[in-house]
This record gives sequence, structure tokens and C-alpha cells, in this order.
Amino acid sequence: MRPIKKYLILTLLLGLGSILPTLQAQTDLQISKVFDQYGERKGVVMVEMTDEMLNGYDFSLFKSLTIKDNPPAADFIRKCLVKDQAGAKKVKQVVTNGVATSIYLQLPRKGQLYRLILFNEVFNPEEKITLVYIESKNDSEDVLKLILKKK
Amino acid sequence: MILKMKYKLSYEEADRLIEKYYDGLSTGAEEKQLQLFLMRSGLPEKYQAEQAIFGYFDQKKERKHIRMNSYMRWAAVAAVVLLVVAGPQLFVTAHTSNYAYIDGKKVSDIREVRSQALASLGDISSSKDEVQESLKNINDTKLIEQQLDVFSK
Repeated sequence: MRPIKKYLILTLLLGLGSILPTLQAQTDLQISKVFDQYGERKGVVMVEMTDEMLNGYDFSLFKSLTIKDNPPAADFIRKCLVKDQAGAKKVKQVVTNGVATSIYLQLPRKGQLYRLILFNEVFNPEEKITLVYIESKNDSEDVLKLILKKK
Repeated sequence: MILKMKYKLSYEEADRLIEKYYDGLSTGAEEKQLQLFLMRSGLPEKYQAEQAIFGYFDQKKERKHIRMNSYMRWAAVAAVVLLVVAGPQLFVTAHTSNYAYIDGKKVSDIREVRSQALASLGDISSSKDEVQESLKNINDTKLIEQQLDVFSK
């Protein structure tokens, strides 16, 4: 193989290897489908923030989805979470009447990024689902503590 | 392979081809062979006239041009390296965006976006209270005693 080709291939591989994990961190997850499917619908609030300091939270990526009165969406999210749980390091789950209403997943690191999925469903005063996906350079456990402490 | 064969043209063969050329009997292939022969460096001075006729000097220019191409090739390599190293950074910067979709409508106002983000985080953190409340209830010994009392009656 000619030296130029070698250098080119090496450089391309290095470049891709270093950047792909950070760029594609969320796309390997099932919940990305939830954001894609429901994000721009009526009755839904979707937020995406990148590299933002949010009241003390240092997020590389923050995505959230709030859906009201949409039980099929909740079921779909739960199914996605079941698949994403497979690779999760730690799972916190609250089951109410046999249904998981609160799920926190600490996902394996992707490159330098710690990743978290937080799901919550409330029924009073109305059915409201909240799904949050976070990528941060800070330890996901610290991020989680910070979020839960903020109330 | 063909190039090597053409370069192997001996002076005698070249002289013969030049003669054929002047007689108007040379073929296109032979002229090409001759042209390649005349491009060789260190040829005796007697070939200078033929070199001029066959555009040797033009070929020289062309060779320079080929060198330019190699520079350009290195420039292309450098450009690709730059693109690979700096491109993703540009890509990430280009995708650094803060927005929200509320009822299908895109909102870019950062204050609104932050407010929505904080609201969703608030929903999550409020669930913690529900959990703690449940745990508190479970740990509430009075409650447990009350419940056990039902059985003792």
C-alpha cells in the first residue's frame, strides 16, 4: 500500500474513532426513537440543549420529552427502556400497581461521556410522562444526586 | 511495462526511427516511441533538433506540471487531515443548538428552552419525593403498629 493511502486511512480512522462515540452516543439507544417519533407532536414538549450550564448542571447534551395524556406513548417508552436497560450499569425503578412509573438508568460510558436516562410518570392531576436523557462529562451518579437534590 | 520497453530503445533504433520519420514512413506508435526516447535525459547533442521537433521542451513543462500535481496531492492529503481533525469540531459546533418543540412548534428563545428543561428536571426530581414519601410511610412504625392492631383485635 502506498504511504499516502496509509496515512489517509490512518488519519480517517483516528478521526472517526475519536469523534464517533461522542457524536453518536444517543443513537445507539432505543429511546432515541421516542424523541424522533413524539418530539414534534402536539401535546408534547421536547427540549434539546447542548453544552449548557443549567442551574449548576454541566451537560454535554440534555434532551427531555414531556407528554400528557398519552398512555400508548408511555407504553412505548417503557418498551424502549426495557431494551436500553440491558446495557445499563445501575437501575432504579419504582413500580406502582405493577407498572414502572419511575426509572433511572445509568448507562455505560460512551467515550468520555457519562449517560443517564430518567423516566417518570405521574397520574395526578393528569397523566404526564417525562423522559430525560443526559450526557455529561461529570460522573452520572453526581449528576443524578444533583438533580434529585434540586427540588 | 510498455514504458520500460519504449525507454529501451537503442540509439541505433532511434536513428532508424528518426530516418523513417523524416521520410514520412513512421507509424503513430513509432513516433510515440521516438518521443519517449527523446524525453530521456543525457541524450547526445545530435538529437537536439529532434527533441525540439517532438516538443521535448513542452514535455519538460508537462513534467513540471506533474510535479505540481504531486504537490497538489500532498495538499489534498493535508486538507483531508485538517477536515478529519477539525471537521468534527466544526460539525459539533454546528450542532450546538438549544431549542424546544412545544406542541410541534419550534422555540429557540434560550430562556424558554431553559425554563422547559428545568420544568422537566423538576418533574423527575419530584418523583424522588414520592419515593421518599413511600419509604417514609414504610418506615413509619406508628403506621405499622396501627395496621397490626387490626389483626390483634
